[in-house]
Amino acid sequence: MRTVLKRELIQNFKNLLIWSLSVGILGLFCILLYDSMQGDMKEMADAFSNMGAFSDAFGMSTLSIATLKGYFSTEIGAVHGLGSGMFAAITAISIISKEEDGHSGEFLFSLPLSRSRIIAAKGLCVAIMIIIFTAVCTGFYVIGFNILGEEMPMDQFFTFMGTQLLMNAEIAGICFGLSSLAGKNRIGLGLGIALLCYSYDVMGRVVPDLKDYLFVGPYSYCNAAEIFTETETPAKALVTAAVVLVLCVVFAFWNYNRRDLAS
Amino acid sequence: MSKKVIEINNLTKSYGKSRGVIDVSLSVEEGDIFGFIGPNGAGKSTTIRSMLGFLKFQSGSINILGMDSVRDHEKILREVGYMPSEAWFYDSMRVSDVIKYAADVRGGDYSEEAGKICERLKLDTTKRIKQLSLGNRKKVSITCAMQHKPKLFVFDEPTSGLDPLIQKHFFSLINEYVDKGATCLLSTHVLSEVDKYCRHAAIMREGRLTMLESPHIDDETFLSFYEDEEEES
Repeated sequence: MRTVLKRELIQNFKNLLIWSLSVGILGLFCILLYDSMQGDMKEMADAFSNMGAFSDAFGMSTLSIATLKGYFSTEIGAVHGLGSGMFAAITAISIISKEEDGHSGEFLFSLPLSRSRIIAAKGLCVAIMIIIFTAVCTGFYVIGFNILGEEMPMDQFFTFMGTQLLMNAEIAGICFGLSSLAGKNRIGLGLGIALLCYSYDVMGRVVPDLKDYLFVGPYSYCNAAEIFTETETPAKALVTAAVVLVLCVVFAFWNYNRRDLAS
Repeated sequence: MSKKVIEINNLTKSYGKSRGVIDVSLSVEEGDIFGFIGPNGAGKSTTIRSMLGFLKFQSGSINILGMDSVRDHEKILREVGYMPSEAWFYDSMRVSDVIKYAADVRGGDYSEEAGKICERLKLDTTKRIKQLSLGNRKKVSITCAMQHKPKLFVFDEPTSGLDPLIQKHFFSLINEYVDKGATCLLSTHVLSEVDKYCRHAAIMREGRLTMLESPHIDDETFLSFYEDEEEES
């Protein structure tokens, strides 16, 4: 299993490097832009906080984007949320199916490994990838805060990054389950799932009737504006995330163990 | 009495409404080179892939080296060297990395044996998989299947894409392993291979298996197995 895990990590390293550096450096540049935009943002902050549901959706009614934490949660929070969700989705959606899609399946299946060991190695690889991705991005953001020298509530920042990691795990879990279905690459579907989850959250915050069902989506518990204003995260959102994650991973194991493998 | 290395009893496997194999029974004894012939889509690969646990079959039982193919799947694969008809690997890997990867998963150092096989097959291990022709990919597949000196070889159309000299080296390698106690199941469309190397043979047609009295058959008889199928379909 260790050999397969090592191989998967090597195979996915380039993807990890591209995505973590892209999202991390983009976030860092956005943080560094705060200094140059600070003067203009006071007026902008007033305008943005009075845009009704739109302000609510992006947290600008509760946090001023003229402050670093407000700026971080509305700008970088959205960039990281979307970027990390997409990375988690594309990593997980192809991790199982790529063997059959790329015809390398028969080589892998001919080695003395049970299907459960193969899928465990692949699941572990996805988990390691999203953890490293989060760590790299966290590093870039912390560097940005240090360069700015502005005060930033680090406990809330780490809570934000932690819940983002959980959101990534939930999206990856859904895509991991789908990846076990058949030997076809579905990167488009993975990206669609990440974008759909993000859109659902934005819509849920704009449309009052949807608010009660917001907890179903993975972005509901990792909203930067709520975390930085210390709004309590509904427990049902976290429980739903844990249940979805566990069910999807269990489904992947069950399905992969029961079905015929394509060559 | 020779030990049965492969024992298939009443194997039936279908893909939804499509026919796979029907009520196949087969036994291969230790030290045999067993020819497995039949037209495309007759069910040869389905039988092989059921044996190795890639496919879940509906009924019947398969015993490999005295172990149950479902329960002892992982143990069986330790003792089997399988070469699929399509030799695909990870494109970006070098040949040497693929061979080492297969050895590492098996938990052994087979570099000496692998080196010997690569030399015999004239395989350049420094190249990347994506740079290789079909024939050279087949050589990688042969090396991965042979390096751990398995008790059972399962080859699915191994010689397509190999030049005649390499084919000769390939069969001399098989003979050497078989002389040392290994067994070989050879699925092929090449009559001369069955005639020259196989000790027993069976033909698969429309999902059903028939044992041949002798693997030494003439061209016309061999082709009639294929023609009959064409006429029936």
